[in-house]
This record gives sequence, structure tokens and C-alpha cells, in this order.
Amino acid sequence: MKRPTTGAAPGWRRIVFRYETLLVVLLVIEWLVFYRFGTSTNRRGIVVGFGTMERQFDILRHSCEIGLLALALTPVILTAGIDLSVASVLGFCAVVFGRLWHDAGLPVWCAAGATLLAGAAAGGVNALFIARFRLPPLIVTLGTYSLFRGLAEALTRGAVTYTDFPVGFLFLGQERWLGLPTQAWVFLVVALFIWTLVHRRMTGRVFRVIGFSPEGARYAGLAVGRTTALAYVMAGAIAALAALIYTARLGQAKADAAVGYELFAITAVVLGGTSIFGGRGTVPGTLLGIAVIAVLKNGLAALPAVIRLNAAEESAGLLTGMLLLVALALGAAPKLLSARRPRTPLPENLPIPKSP
Amino acid sequence: MKIPLLCLLFVSALAAAGAAEQKVVVAMMPKAKGNAYFISCKAGADIAAKELGAELLFDGPVDTNAAKQNEIVENWITLGVDVIAVAAENKESLSTALRKAQRQGIKVIAFDSDAAPDARSFFVNQATPEGIANTLADEAARLTGGEGEIAIITATLTASNQREWLKRIEPRLAEKYPRMKVVAVRPSDDLKDRAQSEATALMSAYPDLKLIMAICTPGVPGAAEAVKQAGKAGKVKVMGLGLPNENRRYVKEGVTDCVILWNTGDLGYLTAYTAVKLVTGELKPGATSFKAGSLGEKRVVGDNVLLGEPFIFTRDNSDRFNF
Repeated sequence: MKRPTTGAAPGWRRIVFRYETLLVVLLVIEWLVFYRFGTSTNRRGIVVGFGTMERQFDILRHSCEIGLLALALTPVILTAGIDLSVASVLGFCAVVFGRLWHDAGLPVWCAAGATLLAGAAAGGVNALFIARFRLPPLIVTLGTYSLFRGLAEALTRGAVTYTDFPVGFLFLGQERWLGLPTQAWVFLVVALFIWTLVHRRMTGRVFRVIGFSPEGARYAGLAVGRTTALAYVMAGAIAALAALIYTARLGQAKADAAVGYELFAITAVVLGGTSIFGGRGTVPGTLLGIAVIAVLKNGLAALPAVIRLNAAEESAGLLTGMLLLVALALGAAPKLLSARRPRTPLPENLPIPKSP
Repeated sequence: MKIPLLCLLFVSALAAAGAAEQKVVVAMMPKAKGNAYFISCKAGADIAAKELGAELLFDGPVDTNAAKQNEIVENWITLGVDVIAVAAENKESLSTALRKAQRQGIKVIAFDSDAAPDARSFFVNQATPEGIANTLADEAARLTGGEGEIAIITATLTASNQREWLKRIEPRLAEKYPRMKVVAVRPSDDLKDRAQSEATALMSAYPDLKLIMAICTPGVPGAAEAVKQAGKAGKVKVMGLGLPNENRRYVKEGVTDCVILWNTGDLGYLTAYTAVKLVTGELKPGATSFKAGSLGEKRVVGDNVLLGEPFIFTRDNSDRFNF
């Protein structure tokens, strides 16, 4: 059967009917609604609320860590894998960093470098079990999810909080550089790196092929083990980077750092159009997914009704969940509809395909 | 490209037309908003806000979480509230955000647990170590008639607040009640089970023991359970620092005689009062006292607003409190 629209579709149609376009529209609507209802003037005559520049920077700063985790998860999910341990690795790395700097007395940048290595090593543990022993990623990372959080708690006996980091390090999380929050630049660099890897390099293609059919990829002679391992090791290293940013933003390193962030990150990736079954997905989609969630979370806290109820956190959780379901339904709708009602009637004398 | 721009202009015009709020906006943050202790603080703060015609926002993390506290403060900064009152989960991490608020002209105070001194104007101090220690010692003396052997159960022997209190309880007893004798001080690791076994051990080691004083909150119900199981209710009295709810059963049964803490409703009331008066300029740094509505004149020592004497929860009054 030939589908007449594909290939022959004019450029505007291909853009309008893309899933990413839906997200952009959603983002703009969200932003305008919050701008309209979340901005006001306070009694000192200052414009306050969602419409302030400060607020936009807050959105950037608050979403960097979850954003980094989502970027790290995109290649992993493309290979039809999952990494539930990213936020635990973040917590583990925050504690490792605190210990290396505070207890071992390393210079702060050496400690940061060592932390990145520790993150990569933590990702390596996942990679070993998943790529070498070919165990299911869900189970393996469920194990390391508890393992690394447990390690973080053991290293601090659940009580120590590292603080008093040098001002130069806090710059990474609390100040601005060239007009943007410092960590936003780090995020941009990582986003560009992941985008290049996924969309402009052979490796990205291999991620997808593994996601569609790992056995097929193996028979095709692709380095399935090595590429899968790369995705998990990268996820660990990026989680470590997120740990440094988290620590610098709050000025504290504690074992409970970023508890629950992995679920927000997975939500962002899936909302961004990446298939949880692997093979399909884009980095721009993930970025939009992050933006939609971050704006929603921040904007709700500026709405007068939500403020009066003191329910910013709860309503953000509720709406994020609804948003994900609606977006998934909308994304699935065209496929379902076209499967139900073929546009062109089938020809009368359809040749029966022979089985190979 | 032009249409979105027009949309933007349109909505911004609409937003600017919104009426300005004239009330003082007090934003108050507990360590965790579901915690009954802080909910009872809020009840007091609500009363103060009503009396003063202020608007009270009360928001915090669902569970204690320093990152969440930080984000909520940053939310309030851009919402342009007038004053922020926090119970800091972590001194360091919250203080960064609080200093930022101060730079934007927002007043900041702390209550319940302090932030870094340079990140807030005042700390509403619920209890001084002297107040706690003296009340504990005096109540112990009242219950024992001022004589006999008593034992103390602490959280750990090293915890700083416990040491502060112990340092003041023993001299107070020695000075005012010379016929009372502290025969043992035992740690319980802040665990109820451990406190229970320590209390059992104490009762067999000191058969003449008249009172067990627990100065950590899990210690009081722990000691009460031990006394109850030993069948010595009334013979060995139990008292200490604690929350009314977790001790209610033992207080009702007559095992525990009293628990001591501060009146959390008053703490919330005083916090909201301090916050509003700081905004209106009626309370300035350097003041030595100020009038806090129905609580009357309150002492200010340095940058600490003192709530005053601790509150004693007994069989008669503990039903009025739910935390």
C-alpha cells in the first residue's frame, strides 16, 4: 500500500504536523496564560510575579539539574533502556564532592573533576550489568537506584551536610555570566553535545537501531555493547555534573540531594516525544519537554489562586501528570485514527503478499 | 512573527491594569507544611494576620527538603512579598536565598530554627536554654516535693542543645533544691525503644528513684512505657520535653505527669506580629522590647525576639493542643 501524503507533503505541513510543534504551541500558551494571570503590581508599586526577568532566570536555574538528567536519559531511552538511578547518582556525587573537598581537603576544582569521574564510574556499574551481562535495564537501575542513594547516606551517616563552599564554586550555581545564570551555559554546552551525538553522528544512529532491534543491530555488526555502555556511562557523568550544579545552587551537599528528580527527567523525555520503547526521539523534543514542565512548575506558583491555597507543589505534580497523558494521547491520536480509517479505499484486486 | 508580539503586548497591557494589593503580605515557611507542630504555628499566625489586616501566605515543602525551601523563597522574591518568615531546614542553603530577598528590599525573619544571622533581621526565639532548663528543674522539684533521687535521659551525651540544657539543669537543682540528687544521666540516641530500656535499667539500679526526666522528645513516651510496664506508675514520676500528642495516652493514664514545650500557637502569633511590625517600621533593629498584640510586651535581646517561658502541658490542658 502506498501512502500518498508522505514524501509529497509540502514543507509547511511537515512542520505543522510535527510533535515538536505541538510542544512549542503548548509552551507559548502556557507562558502567555501565566504572564496574563501571574503578573501584578505589589503595594510598593513594583511589577512582580511571572512576568519579571528575575522569574525567567529562576526557571532556568531551577530546571538545569532536571534538564541535565533528561538530556542524559535521552540516549539511554533511545536504546530502549532506562536509567532510574540518575538522581541517586546525583546524590551520591554531591556527597562524594562534599567529602573530597571538605574532609579530604582537595582544591575545589580537583574535587569537582574527581566527582565527574565518580559519576562516570557509577554509570559504568550500570553499563557493566546492562551491556556486558545483558540484564534488563529497569531491574539493574532499580538496584543501583537504591545502591547509590544508600551509599550517599552511608558516606554521611545520613546526618552530615557539607556547606561553606568557596565563592568561586558557588558562582556556578548562584551568579550570572554574560547575562545568563552560569549553569545555563553549562546546560547549553551539554545540550549541544548530546544533540550532535544523537543527530549528527553515527553513534546516534546506532542508539536508535539498538532501540528498534538489538539483535538486528548485533547481526549488522554494530558495536551494540560498547554503544549501550557509552549511553549509561555518559548518563552517570552528566548526573555528576548536575550534582555539582545542584550543590553550587544550594550551597550544600547532602545525601537527600535531588530525591525524585529521575521521574521528572523521564517525564520530560517522554513528553518530548521520545518513545519509551526506544528507537524514536529527538533532543530538541527533550529540551521542549523540559521547558514545558519547568514553565508549568514555576508559573503555577505565581497564580493568585494557587498562592491562596498554598498548593504550588501539589498542583504542579497534578498538572504535569495530566499534561503528560494529554500529550501522549495527542501524539498517539493521528496514528490511531489513520489505522482505523484508511483515507484511500483499498484497491479491489490487492495482491496477497507472499511470506518470505 | 508579528502576531505573537501583538499578543504579548495585549496581555502585558491587561496585566498592568490589574489592581495593586495594598495589604502587607507576610510569607511564612515551615520546615514541612504537613507537620502538626507547624500547622498549630499557622493557626496562631492566622490570628495575628487577621488582627493586623495583613495577608498571610503559608507554604513549605511537603517533607523537609532544603532545595524546595530555596525554590519557595525565590518564588516569593519574584512575587514581591513584603516580609518572609522562615523556619530554616538548613542554615547555609537557605541563607543564600534569604540574602537575595534582603537585597531586593524584602524583610526577613526566622522562627523556630534560625537562619544565618546576616540573612535575617530577627529570630523569634521560642525558648532560651535558661527558660527550658529552669522550667524542667522547677517542675521536677514540684513533682517530687523537692527531694529524692532523679535520673535524666538525654538524646546523646554530645548533642549541643542537650548539653546546653544539662549544663543549666544541674546547677539550678543544686542551688534551689539541695535535697534532690541527679543519680544518673543516660543517652537514648533519640530513640523511644532505647529510652524505654534505659528507664527500665535505671529503675532496677536505683530502687529509690522518684522521677525520670527525659530531655529529648522520644525519651518521655519511652520512659513512660517502661514505668507503666514495671507497674510503678505514680511511684516513679515521668516528665520532660515533648509534644502533647505523643504523650497524651500516658498523661491521661497518669504515668506521665507533665510535658514541657512552648505554646506553638503563640510562636506563630508572635512570628506574624514581628513580621508585620518590622514592615511597618514599628519594630526596628536595636529595639529592646515591643508590644505583640494579645501576648503583651515581649523582650528583644540582641536580634532575638523572645517568646518567653515554656508552656507546661498537663492532664488538664493538653486536650487544647493538637501537635
